[in-house]
Amino acid sequence: MSGDDGYRPRVPQTQLVVDQTFDGRSLYRVRATVAAHAAACGLSPRRSGDLVLAVHELAANAVQHGGGGGRLRIIKQRGELLCEVTDEGQGGPAAIAGAASHLAVAWRIERGHGLWLVRQLAEQTSVRTGPAGSAVTVSMGLDPASPLPPSHLFMVGGG
Amino acid sequence: MTVSAQTQITELRTDDHACLTFGESEELLDLTAAFVRDGLSCGCRVVWLSELPADQAIAELAKRGVAVEPALTAGHLTATASENHLLSGQAFTAGHAMQWLGAQVADCQDRSLAGLRVVMDMSWALRPITGVEQLPDFEVGMASVLSGMAVCTLCQYDRERFDPVTLASAAALHTRSVAAATYYQDAVLRICRQYAPPGLRLAGEIDYHAAEPLALAIAEAIRLDCDIVVNMADLTFIDGACIRMICTAATSLAWPRRVILRCPPVIADCFVRYGAAQVPSVRLAVIDER
Repeated sequence: MSGDDGYRPRVPQTQLVVDQTFDGRSLYRVRATVAAHAAACGLSPRRSGDLVLAVHELAANAVQHGGGGGRLRIIKQRGELLCEVTDEGQGGPAAIAGAASHLAVAWRIERGHGLWLVRQLAEQTSVRTGPAGSAVTVSMGLDPASPLPPSHLFMVGGG
Repeated sequence: MTVSAQTQITELRTDDHACLTFGESEELLDLTAAFVRDGLSCGCRVVWLSELPADQAIAELAKRGVAVEPALTAGHLTATASENHLLSGQAFTAGHAMQWLGAQVADCQDRSLAGLRVVMDMSWALRPITGVEQLPDFEVGMASVLSGMAVCTLCQYDRERFDPVTLASAAALHTRSVAAATYYQDAVLRICRQYAPPGLRLAGEIDYHAAEPLALAIAEAIRLDCDIVVNMADLTFIDGACIRMICTAATSLAWPRRVILRCPPVIADCFVRYGAAQVPSVRLAVIDER
């Protein structure tokens, strides 16, 4: 008989909830995935929209400048939702310029525009580039009481 | 990609018996408003048999820039339901419908108006109406009886609800086929021209993949000598590349022309982050969430 024996499952501090590859034909799915998890974690529609756009810009950068595709990982850890986009390209001039142009405010700047926008949208952004490719992580703070994503939304593996 | 080869709503003239197929209510209302606007500007009487309540139909026209008040006051504009006009209660006969139409023509002639425009939403034919099999007879009758009588008729068919066979046979009974000029369409995105007010309409999700058709749509809208409306009421996502294209187009307009961005709050936020609100030729018109 089920009953309350006082057992409470340990909630992991860090949870990988999505790990999927993408290319230029699957950006719609990337956006839908991020939107679903952002909503499940309790982000408001506006902040969800910001996160979706930020991740899209990173993924589009990976497609256009990072070898044609990349990998999206969504990680929930206490107090924040992280989205990491990695690619195996060289991270061309556009991406590198974007990393350095985060102080530029004029929207007319073409190069690295995606990363400029990402920095406006995400609460925190970190960029790593190198010969093996680049990895950009954006994060949004969560309400401490936000629920875990439902188990059916967990997706681990190639896409 | 190419713009649709079908007749543009703004090209319809007297004696046209046109068939309009639509997929979304925004598309239907936009094309109807353009048809009504152009008819009123030519001094015609316009009758709209709509599925909407009359006051809502009039409000939709006004929202799209049609000067409804003077037209209503002068008796040049009527928006009403098909029931008790085209239909006799819940029954349709070609004879009754032609009689009703003939009365509208006679009224225009008595008042020495320039002509008559009648726009009919045929969605009533999807309801359990007796006699609906006579609809083709009515369509054929309209084309022959109204020829040379300064009448332009526009029959509207919802392509999402009518089956392809009915749509094809209906189109064949008309002299013109009308749809919104479409620059791009797939399961995720639609880019088409908007006519009332002039501009373009984006629905779904748009990103850099659609840059080319978006550029074409913007270029054609810019050629119009007026403000341009970018209707994003049904848009749920736009990326930085497309925001940039629209803002760049706005900065290319000579004063006092403007680009009016009609969009939901989430989309408006994106443009604000890009600095669009600081561009003098951009006006953000944030709409209520539905």
